Amino acid sequence: MSVTAENTGLVIEDIPLVKGDPDFHKITTDICRISEKPITKTPRWWWIAFIISGMLAMNLLIMIGYLAWEGVGVWGVNIPVGWGWAIVNFVFWVGIGHAGTLISAILFLFRQKWRTSINRFAEAMTICAVICAGVFPGIHVGRIWVAYFMFPVPNQMSIWPNFRSPLLWDIFAVGTYFTASALFWYTGMIPDLATYRDRAKSKIKKVVFGILSLGWRGGNRQWKHYEVAYLLLAGISTPLVLSVHSVVSTDFATSIVPGWHTTIFPPYFVAGAIFSGFAMVMTLAILARKVLPALQNYITIDTLERMAKIMMVTGMMVGYAYSTEFFIAWYSGNMYERFAFINRAFGPYWWAYWTMVSCNVIIPQLFWIRKLRRTIPVLFALSIFTNIGMWFERFVIVMSLHADYLPSSWDYYKPTWVDAWTFIGSFGLFLTLFLLFIRFLPVMAMSEVKGVLPRANPHFHHNMPPAHKGEA
Amino acid sequence: MSSLDKNKTLDKKYWRSLEQLDNKPEYQRFAKNEFPEEDTEKNHPVSRRTFLSTVGTTLAFAGLTGCRRPVEKIVPYVDAPENLVLGEPEYYATSMPLGTSSYGLVVTCHEGRPVKIEGNELHPSSLGKSNNFMQASILNLYDPDRSRKITNKGKESSWQEFEDAWKEIKTEFDENGGEGLVILGNESSSPSFERLKKEFFKTYPKAEWVTFNSVSDENIYGGIRIASGKNLQPVYHYDKAKIIVALDADPFMMDSENVTSALGFAKGRSISGPHDKMNRLYVAEPGYTITGAMADHRLRIKSSQVIDFTVLLARALESRGTTIPALSAFGAVKQNNIDQRWIDAVADDLISHKGKSLVVAGRRQPKAVHALILSINYALENIDNTIEFHIAEHIQVSDRAALKNLVANIDNGKVNTLVVLSDYPVATIPFDLQIIESLKKIQRTYKLSSSADSVSALLDGDIHSAHNLASWGDCRSMDGTPAIIQPMIEPLFFGKSVLEVLNLIIYGESQKGYNIVRETWKDIFHGESFELSWRKALHDGVYPEGKTRVEPVIIQEIAIEAHLKEFPIENNSTGMEIVFTADHSVYDGRFSNNGWMQELPDPLTKLIWDNAALISTASAKMHGLENGDFISIESGDNSIEIPVWILPGQADDVIILPLGYGNDSNGRIEKGAGFSVNGIRTIDNMDFLSGTKVTRTGKKHVFATTQNHGSMEGRPLIREADLDEYRNDPEFAQHEVHVPDLASLWKEHKYDEGNQWGMSIDLNACIGCGACTISCQSENNIPVVGKEQADYGREMHWMRIDRYFNGDLNNPEIGFQPMACQHCEMAPCEQVCPVAATTHDAEGLNVMTYNRCIGTRYCSNNCAYKVRRFNFFNYTNRLPELVKMAQNPDVTVRSRGVMEKCTFCLQRINRTKRRAKLEGRTVMDGEMRTACQQACPTEAIKFGNILDKKSSIVKAKNSERTYEVLAELNLRPRTSYQARLRNPNPALKS
Repeated sequence: MSVTAENTGLVIEDIPLVKGDPDFHKITTDICRISEKPITKTPRWWWIAFIISGMLAMNLLIMIGYLAWEGVGVWGVNIPVGWGWAIVNFVFWVGIGHAGTLISAILFLFRQKWRTSINRFAEAMTICAVICAGVFPGIHVGRIWVAYFMFPVPNQMSIWPNFRSPLLWDIFAVGTYFTASALFWYTGMIPDLATYRDRAKSKIKKVVFGILSLGWRGGNRQWKHYEVAYLLLAGISTPLVLSVHSVVSTDFATSIVPGWHTTIFPPYFVAGAIFSGFAMVMTLAILARKVLPALQNYITIDTLERMAKIMMVTGMMVGYAYSTEFFIAWYSGNMYERFAFINRAFGPYWWAYWTMVSCNVIIPQLFWIRKLRRTIPVLFALSIFTNIGMWFERFVIVMSLHADYLPSSWDYYKPTWVDAWTFIGSFGLFLTLFLLFIRFLPVMAMSEVKGVLPRANPHFHHNMPPAHKGEA
Repeated sequence: MSSLDKNKTLDKKYWRSLEQLDNKPEYQRFAKNEFPEEDTEKNHPVSRRTFLSTVGTTLAFAGLTGCRRPVEKIVPYVDAPENLVLGEPEYYATSMPLGTSSYGLVVTCHEGRPVKIEGNELHPSSLGKSNNFMQASILNLYDPDRSRKITNKGKESSWQEFEDAWKEIKTEFDENGGEGLVILGNESSSPSFERLKKEFFKTYPKAEWVTFNSVSDENIYGGIRIASGKNLQPVYHYDKAKIIVALDADPFMMDSENVTSALGFAKGRSISGPHDKMNRLYVAEPGYTITGAMADHRLRIKSSQVIDFTVLLARALESRGTTIPALSAFGAVKQNNIDQRWIDAVADDLISHKGKSLVVAGRRQPKAVHALILSINYALENIDNTIEFHIAEHIQVSDRAALKNLVANIDNGKVNTLVVLSDYPVATIPFDLQIIESLKKIQRTYKLSSSADSVSALLDGDIHSAHNLASWGDCRSMDGTPAIIQPMIEPLFFGKSVLEVLNLIIYGESQKGYNIVRETWKDIFHGESFELSWRKALHDGVYPEGKTRVEPVIIQEIAIEAHLKEFPIENNSTGMEIVFTADHSVYDGRFSNNGWMQELPDPLTKLIWDNAALISTASAKMHGLENGDFISIESGDNSIEIPVWILPGQADDVIILPLGYGNDSNGRIEKGAGFSVNGIRTIDNMDFLSGTKVTRTGKKHVFATTQNHGSMEGRPLIREADLDEYRNDPEFAQHEVHVPDLASLWKEHKYDEGNQWGMSIDLNACIGCGACTISCQSENNIPVVGKEQADYGREMHWMRIDRYFNGDLNNPEIGFQPMACQHCEMAPCEQVCPVAATTHDAEGLNVMTYNRCIGTRYCSNNCAYKVRRFNFFNYTNRLPELVKMAQNPDVTVRSRGVMEKCTFCLQRINRTKRRAKLEGRTVMDGEMRTACQQACPTEAIKFGNILDKKSSIVKAKNSERTYEVLAELNLRPRTSYQARLRNPNPALKS
């Protein structure tokens, strides 16, 4: 049942945000049941997925151990390509980590109510992705055991970081982003955790959720404080969405390497990050709908379509950035810049460049067609293409190193098996964390979804049967 | 730097320990008891313990030295040798024999450990400069695969046993005058060797002596002997030559006396202003050589065509009114693709520069060519101007005919005892002589060798030799200046020198090398007291008064005619022509187990760890070959398989095969590196051979190279101009790039006081040889990473030479650019380091704090010159203990995970500053020399304080040819380059 012009007084017919007209209780049970199942009744798909991703995460640990034991030489990095897959993966994961905060903060501020069905696991995905991203700067250094020199920790050795270095800015940017995202995620989860606490049967769950829900009672005063806090956090997080990838882009943009030294990088990186973040949310949402059919009413095809539109827009922004880079390289008259871009498209890494352009610019154009935007297999395939394309974008950028100023130093970078397994392992870590989230925490913001239902509208009951029926 | 300059007091710095060292079994037992661990360390004969005992006894039996590794037990000097200050290096003069000549060295020793070699300024063949081989020979001293014991048929034996055995044999030879006894030795210029050889024939008049080297100047000496009737040594003065014509020669890198030749050439080329003159170099050659890369005009011809070229040139000279003696004896020659316009231009130039020109040919060319070249130089009045001949009766020159004869004699059973006094593997002997089969027929064979090879098990005595840095000896330089070789260290593993073995052969009793050399030098010194002269000669490293005399030359036309009748010129080259050449890295193989040399990029191909069949672009295309394709080269019944590498600029239908690789020795470095080309090198065709068939086998080899890209892509990196262009626009180098007004983000440091270090590299002088690279590697403990790592792009050289091709793909020009950290004042590396591990010091140096570096590699990414090097693994940790002895204690050994790069030899700067401070003065101009600068044979590198207006560095930087690479990036590099000039003949401009 939709909220129509007749019963709300609005002129435009809204698309229903939730299908099947669930009442508040149904929402609670739909979501809670996913994680309330006893261990013995954990679905088989979860175990299979968890064991595989858990093994891959262990493999990441082994790869890191091997790396720490042998040295960075186990990777394919060399001189001139001092950064390889590790930094590509770092930027890739940070980029993915963008969607969560964007959805929860910016869309919140813009009153985009459709965000409520996806914001929780988008935020969870952000946390997992930033954890994966955080692994790489730590392990890519030559002497892992002194990586802490990067932190401004007072010490007897008089070691103090160099605040001119973008790598240091990275530490602060990503650290702040992680903290803010985690806080935001947790704050948003408090009412739902209280619901879990209230429904908990086992002693342990009661205690754990009891602590986590911070004494939430759902009183008016609590809601008032809570909503102000949430709004404030949204306000704090919004600039972070823009800053973190801008700062990550300065790793490249402040250098003098042709192909890196570009002022367009901050906005271009942010657009790309949103693009890739949404793609990953899309991938996960579609998978979640598949394995948790209860979610299909909440993550509707309309929500997915809206995400597809955002991906199309950001994809085109990225495409615009690609062309601007070429234009500026030509317009600058700088022979090194010109060469860097021609080499990018037609040099030894042409295949990576054209993979990137195909996946990020050409293929998303299919979203112009409404039917394709609303076809789930197409959405899934396109989200995967975007994930691939955005990884290649970072690869293409990092590979600018392979041919810079002096042709005598030009060399070709080839990843090793350790590079590959480390990357695969980071997916293992990501999925392991994400599966744990799905299994034990509310995958959807129940309280927020309830809040955007027509039933939550104070005037709803003038036209509708009571929201609470049955035993409630 | 060297204390040689400073220390005029002669009684201080002598090596005076070995006479006090008694190396008899009693002593060895004593040493064993003193250090009982030695028994458990048999597999590590020069472990630290042995080293300590060695050094201790060496240094005047004074006790034991210490080391700074705190994890090991430190044994201090109980009774320190005189003048020794721990931490202060000592410098000793000695010499390094190479073929029929020698290079003078000054060796830096730390606590009795030789660690660095420089050229001796007083020595006429090095003049304070050096080349790769001199620099790298220190690593040969510490070769961990060096033979460590005397073996008899593969079983461990001892010197005592050998001595006893020889005494018995000697009684037999004493009776029959040495019948059946043959010595197979190497080339030598040693006065002691010469004396002992005479003694040998006095003792064994019926014995025989054969000299053989795989790479030798035999043809040059032979040609000169034919033309002049005398045994003469040519001494070239390239600095006096205005027109130089080099035919299939590489005088600046691979030929004998390359240090002085390169230096002379650079001097004749140095230009102080637009009105100055410079020399002109013509090169005609089959492959690309360093000399060819420096040429103003280069003609690609086959080796076999050089005789044609020479005769055509001589005729062109004669047609211009200069009579060339004996030219008429040379018959008809073929013009083929030899450009007559080229020859005419060269002839015109030579005629107009009589007495100021020089024509040389390489050691591959037959005697007839060298005879004719001498005749041409004679006619051009160059003799005693740009070339002089010293009497050279003392030298032992390789003799292929004698070797061939020796093998025949062995096969006929005329030889019962063979003593091989050659340090080098038997595999360097042309394979068709089947020397191993022959050795089996001999009753007794003894060999002095540096490393065990496949024949060792056959020998009745395989005696491990001592390196020239660890034994007494002597040698003469090209002009006959005698020099003493003094040991820097006790012979590792108690190896024996050639002189000691030879002495035993002659007299039947052991004698110390020291005494043998002193005995010889009694006849060399004239006047004064022996002891005083000896000490002075030891201190200086040379005895200039002992020079050989200059001999006048008269061309023996009849002898040349007779020679030509006996060996008529054959100039009908067909098929693919094979040219054998000494390798840029391993020479004839003697440096094949030397990691520095294996990893030193070939100056032209930039290949490392391999030799390759070099082929021209067009020939490769014709045969459908790509880099790394294996080919089979067939010559008669012989064939080899070797992968090819395309070298643009080589003559077509020519394959260059560098020697020295793929020998049967089993050193850890040389194993698996390169390909043996001996399979088609026969005793009759050791230089080049034609008529071979080349086919592609289909197999592939992965080559490692340090430079994948040969084009400058139109970038203004090496800037060069023709002399005319330079005269029109002396500042052409600065005009090549427009540098806009540059602004800085932050306040710049002024760098206007104290020492502000800067470097200038003259591309007009740099010949690209790579001596700087090896010198830097030795000075700064730069690890060798191996082929696989280097192929990944992880070579560690702080100083590299960039080589770029320019122009026509078939006949390009080559340019070289040494590239090390430029020490930018606005260093991009410093800004991006998150932990401030790379920063600027007050003297304008970009310095690394290794302990602070965490290894983000960001600095390297942001380095425009890509001169930073990263320790991807712990490369140094894997070094055998013995090789660690070659490390410079003044330079930190870097652990894995840290970045490193050129420091402008900070340790040398600090030592210089300390000395200046102690003497209460500022650092003088020229006092501080970096390792690369000191090694450079052409003085291309200048270094000093750029605030010192009178210094040579400021002079160089003020030259109108000076430019900075990538100056437009506002990096303010402290290293600048002086643009290169070429001096083409206007007549040859197309």
